[in-house]
Amino acid sequence: MYTKSKYVERMSCLQNEEFYHVFEVFSKRNHKSDFQHQFSLLAPNHEMALVMAQENFMRREPVVDIWVVKRSDITKLKPEDKKALERLDNKEYRLTKGYGYLKKKWRKYEQQVLDEKEIMSWGGDQRGPNRNAAGSDSK
Amino acid sequence: MNTVDFSKLSKEEKLQQFMERIENGEKIEADDWMPDEYRNVLIKLISMHGISEIMGALPEKEWVPKAPSLRKKLGIMAKVQDEMGHGQLLLRVVEDLLEPLGKNRDDIMEDLLNGDLKFHNVFHMEAPTWADAGIIAWLVDGAAIMTQTNMLQASYGPYSRALHRICAEEVFHAQHGESIIMALAEGSEQQREMLQEAIYRWWPSLLMFFGPESAETTGSSKQDITIKYKIRTKTNEQLRQDFFTKYVPRVLALGFKLPDDTMHFDEEKGKWVYQQPDWSEFKKIIAGKGPKSQSRLQLRRMAFENSRWVREALGAKREAI
Amino acid sequence: MDQIATPQEAIQNKQYKMALIELLYQLADDDFILAFRGSEWLGLAPHIEEDIAYASINQATMGHAVMYYELLESLGEGSADELAHERKASERKNAILLELMNGTGSYLENPSYDWAFTVVRHYFYDIYKKLKLESLKQSSYLPLAQAATKIKMEQYYHVMHWKVWFNQLVLSGGEAKTRMQAAIQKVWDEFADVLSYGTYAADFSKYQLIEEENLFKQKWEVEMQQVFQKAGIDYPGPPSARKGNGRTGMHTEDLNQALSILSEVYSLDPQATW
Repeated sequence: MYTKSKYVERMSCLQNEEFYHVFEVFSKRNHKSDFQHQFSLLAPNHEMALVMAQENFMRREPVVDIWVVKRSDITKLKPEDKKALERLDNKEYRLTKGYGYLKKKWRKYEQQVLDEKEIMSWGGDQRGPNRNAAGSDSK
Repeated sequence: MNTVDFSKLSKEEKLQQFMERIENGEKIEADDWMPDEYRNVLIKLISMHGISEIMGALPEKEWVPKAPSLRKKLGIMAKVQDEMGHGQLLLRVVEDLLEPLGKNRDDIMEDLLNGDLKFHNVFHMEAPTWADAGIIAWLVDGAAIMTQTNMLQASYGPYSRALHRICAEEVFHAQHGESIIMALAEGSEQQREMLQEAIYRWWPSLLMFFGPESAETTGSSKQDITIKYKIRTKTNEQLRQDFFTKYVPRVLALGFKLPDDTMHFDEEKGKWVYQQPDWSEFKKIIAGKGPKSQSRLQLRRMAFENSRWVREALGAKREAI
Repeated sequence: MDQIATPQEAIQNKQYKMALIELLYQLADDDFILAFRGSEWLGLAPHIEEDIAYASINQATMGHAVMYYELLESLGEGSADELAHERKASERKNAILLELMNGTGSYLENPSYDWAFTVVRHYFYDIYKKLKLESLKQSSYLPLAQAATKIKMEQYYHVMHWKVWFNQLVLSGGEAKTRMQAAIQKVWDEFADVLSYGTYAADFSKYQLIEEENLFKQKWEVEMQQVFQKAGIDYPGPPSARKGNGRTGMHTEDLNQALSILSEVYSLDPQATW
């Protein structure tokens, strides 16, 4: 884990630095979930930050994994550059709501439209060509 | 949508946009522009809040080893740990506000030990018996919950988020406190007496906890500024009244008395009528002249000194908590 | 021998029971008194984030003591609260090392606590405890084996936490290393007592409650040699027990001080519900 050479490297970087660095803590609640941000803590180095993380922010919840990231390693947008994130709301061509007219079309041919609910159910059980026409039992 | 470059606006225009953001219920973040008054009032409020949590751990920890059952020992340990945890969250929030000013946790610590940073009156007081541990967990925490829930929608994002974490843990604190009180209230003559004395002892401090009704009483009050900036919604007096509504009936229901015979709810006025505490006492206590102010600061000072070698070993130059 | 699955079975063999409860008292009293010393650090640790993490370790450790006291309760020794609060110092079976004060002063007035001593005491104890639990998982007394499996799960974090502190402080050199070496000496001077099985050692083995004493000590030594090697310190040879043997009920004034605080409120009225 901790070696002599790491110590030497660290001491030489520390001349005019803060003693404590800010570390952002991320955690995964369970094996299915994504990493999410928790909070920040002060620690002298990454190893310490890792060892502090769970008990500081996740004492009362399940945790299966933790990341700590030094805040100074994070690249942030300047406040004025957040304007770069704004967009017009005129892009229905790439949203399902832009294709709502298909439902009526398919009904003419006595077929159900393949909407989001239908397509997301395809991971489950399906039987026979007429499953689709019959409706939504396809789980 | 802003077509004008924010940085080119005049100070008045920036302030106006800022107030619009707040009025719209938007959250202000650490890197956002904010008027100095906003930053300063937050720094003062949150550092006092954070340090109060840290200092508040000290009277409670007295009772950790003394707690009269294994379960209670564990319960108080967990509660004191939570207080330190709350302090940690709040200090992090205020540290990020102090960063552009070139200050950090050491500076907060220095201010505390110099007496420049105030902490809540309640934590300057003695906690001489087990019943005091119960009162702290039940009524002092109850009062703190009142003030904290009042700020859950605070305009400053990091503070609001920290308060959500804090309030989630407060529910356990309230129940832990109640479990101590209930056992005493339903216990022996000796236990009931212990609790009654603790209630008498803590009552003035609890009244003072919410701060004076107006600036006239003690010469200053930040409640107007914090309400203007939507950091909080209710005034000191409203919070105190809410506290009475929740807790006075419970204290009386258990068969205990308050040291104030005049305390009652006036239906016509729609509020609790009560005897004012001695606000000059409050000023003294906050200034560090409470019964335990100096001895508790001394504990912190010693701990800080004794662990200096640790910080020097792992980092070097700067000192911190 | 066959596994003893229940307290009722254990009670049937008087010798077995006596050895078993002796072992359980050692385990319970060790964790209980160390958790107490740890709790004295609340609010005083070198930095806030560590104060919080350390508080979890102390809660977990006291929780382990509770588990052992409850095993004793099921064997008819009295309630867990009675066992924790009512027994005199001479009845306690914890190792002396674990009862020693954190430094000078009381936890309420002028505490001059020694973080180096705390780190070393915890690190070395938690390694020992990890090895002990590995052995206890095979105990002939099933409830103890089951408890050991659960407790061992929390040990991983404890050992990791103290390992980080131990190595970082020792490898910093300078004043930190000097203080750590003094602390190591202080801990080593009493560690033989921690390792000791006490007067029932032969019965522990006979009834397969835990592995044989010398075997255990050998395993421990191998592990400790690695600890010293990683930290770049010479292995100091076998530890001592200068202040005596807590396993036989010998204790220091530090334990009296601890017990009077721990039972202060409880003894106001042992019959009361709190």
